[in-house]
Amino acid sequence: MHNKQKTRYSLSYLVSQAFKSLFRNGMMTVASVAVLMSCLTVMGSFALLVYNINYNLEDLSLNEMVVYCDTEADDDLVEEIGRRIRLQNNVVEESVELIPKETVLEEERETYREYTDLFDMMGGDSNPYPDTYVFEYKDNNKVSSLQMELEQMEGVDKVNCRADLAKTIDSIKNGIIFIFMWFLVILFVVSVFVIINTIKLAVHSRRQEIYVMRYVGATKWFITTPFVLEGIAIGAFSSALAYGVEYLLYNLIYNTVSKYPLIKLAEFGKDYLWLIVLGGFVIVGVVTGIIGTAISLRKHLKA
Amino acid sequence: MIEFKNVCKKYPNGTLALDDVNLTINDGEFVFIVGESGAGKSTMLKTLFREEKISSGSLVVDGYDLKKIRSYKIPHYRRNLGIVFQDFRLFPNKTVFENVAFAMRAIGVPTKDINRRVPTILSIVNLQDKAKSFPNELSGGEQQRVALARALANNPSIIIADEPTGNIDPKLSLEIMNLLIKIHKHGKTVIVVTHEKNFVDYFQQRVITIKDGKVVDDKVGGMFDA
Ligand SMILES: Nc1ncnc2c1ncn2[C@@H]1O[C@H](COP(=O)(O)OP(=O)(O)OP(=O)(O)O)[C@@H](O)[C@H]1O
Ligand SMILES: [Mg+2]
Repeated sequence: MHNKQKTRYSLSYLVSQAFKSLFRNGMMTVASVAVLMSCLTVMGSFALLVYNINYNLEDLSLNEMVVYCDTEADDDLVEEIGRRIRLQNNVVEESVELIPKETVLEEERETYREYTDLFDMMGGDSNPYPDTYVFEYKDNNKVSSLQMELEQMEGVDKVNCRADLAKTIDSIKNGIIFIFMWFLVILFVVSVFVIINTIKLAVHSRRQEIYVMRYVGATKWFITTPFVLEGIAIGAFSSALAYGVEYLLYNLIYNTVSKYPLIKLAEFGKDYLWLIVLGGFVIVGVVTGIIGTAISLRKHLKA
Repeated sequence: MIEFKNVCKKYPNGTLALDDVNLTINDGEFVFIVGESGAGKSTMLKTLFREEKISSGSLVVDGYDLKKIRSYKIPHYRRNLGIVFQDFRLFPNKTVFENVAFAMRAIGVPTKDINRRVPTILSIVNLQDKAKSFPNELSGGEQQRVALARALANNPSIIIADEPTGNIDPKLSLEIMNLLIKIHKHGKTVIVVTHEKNFVDYFQQRVITIKDGKVVDDKVGGMFDA
């Protein structure tokens, strides 16, 4: 006399169990949400900070290199130099741009209008400016070897770049990332721990029910789903709150900072930034909820 | 069929609760299990519903090898069993109907079937009129009948009862025992752990006596001798 009927679990039952449980353990639920929300907000702020550092650095064109040719170099040699720059591994080929000495002269003339007579003497063969190549390189760490190689090329006078500054900024950026990473790991562990305890309490307050379910033959899936939903709800709710806090915080900072011209901040709506923040929050929040629940159930529920 | 072969159960703290138990209980049998407190009776029932795993030997129930059973199969195995405890374990905030229905919901029986089957089961234990009552509005005997109805809800082939009359007024206990006999006559295997000498002697069923984790006596029509 086996029960071979197909099992059809009622979703509404499972969901209602999860929500009843959330309210029954009110204080623990609030604590879980608060901790997870703080964790997410810190994570989001950190991600936005790094994003804005990069956003500000884009304009500084830090990975730019300038090659000055000898003033005596003829057009063929200049062209040959350009060809060889493009062949270098560390050079972004499309970015290589020649600024002919005539253009340089024009630009200088524009800059120093008051001295037109001085510039009138120049021109033709007496142009004192060199043909110049400007281009971007890819790898900051291999800059000095690129610089050396280019300097030794025939017809090259001087090679300039700002590798030192770029390196300093890079290491500051890495330092910030490093500190926040540890901060995040700690907050994440705390979040998981608080969720483990919330679910543990939920399991405890339903232990009699769970016991009866087990001995009438409820599957593990049926018994655990309400708790997993509870974990997901905590995660989802925390991420929604964290998004709200992040949104307000960012706009506050944005409005303050935009009064100062030196730093610019990306708008929250730019490049789907808000969507990335929201998506990140929901994914991390829900995953944290599930991990916390899973650990708790492993410890407190047996077959 | 239930088959214990050289079954030992040692708890993690070192207590040897079952010591080389050999037993066969056939389908449709009625069995009393008796013995002093601490003899290992409850442990034996716990190994049957796989609350506890046996330490050595073999235990096979209706073709399920309980030593090797995979954990995902345990719930399906348990659906063959109906379990009743001394302390009823009813939900105080659920009606009699909901308490019985809970066992069905927990294994995914559709509501339509639940509504049809619960009244039938309640009438088997003579509680058809109490469907809307809450446990605290019932006598101990009635509460145990609800627990029995819940154990019967999913139509198991084996009923296991651990001191089902232990918390009940002696006058009402006979009613529970009679119900268990009635269930047995409907073709189910019934295993009852009890301390009630009078019933055991009166019903003249198979009696297994356990002492210090060992089966020391096993007689059909036996007497209480613990
Ligand atoms: N979970 C456990 N951990 C350790 N020892 C246990 C556990 N459960 C029972 N025991 C021990 O195993 C032995 C058998 O216990 P069991 O509960 O099976 O006895 P019983 O025959 O049901 O007794 P009673 O008639 O008092 O209910 C006892 O010595 C008991 O202390
Ligand atoms: Mg016992």
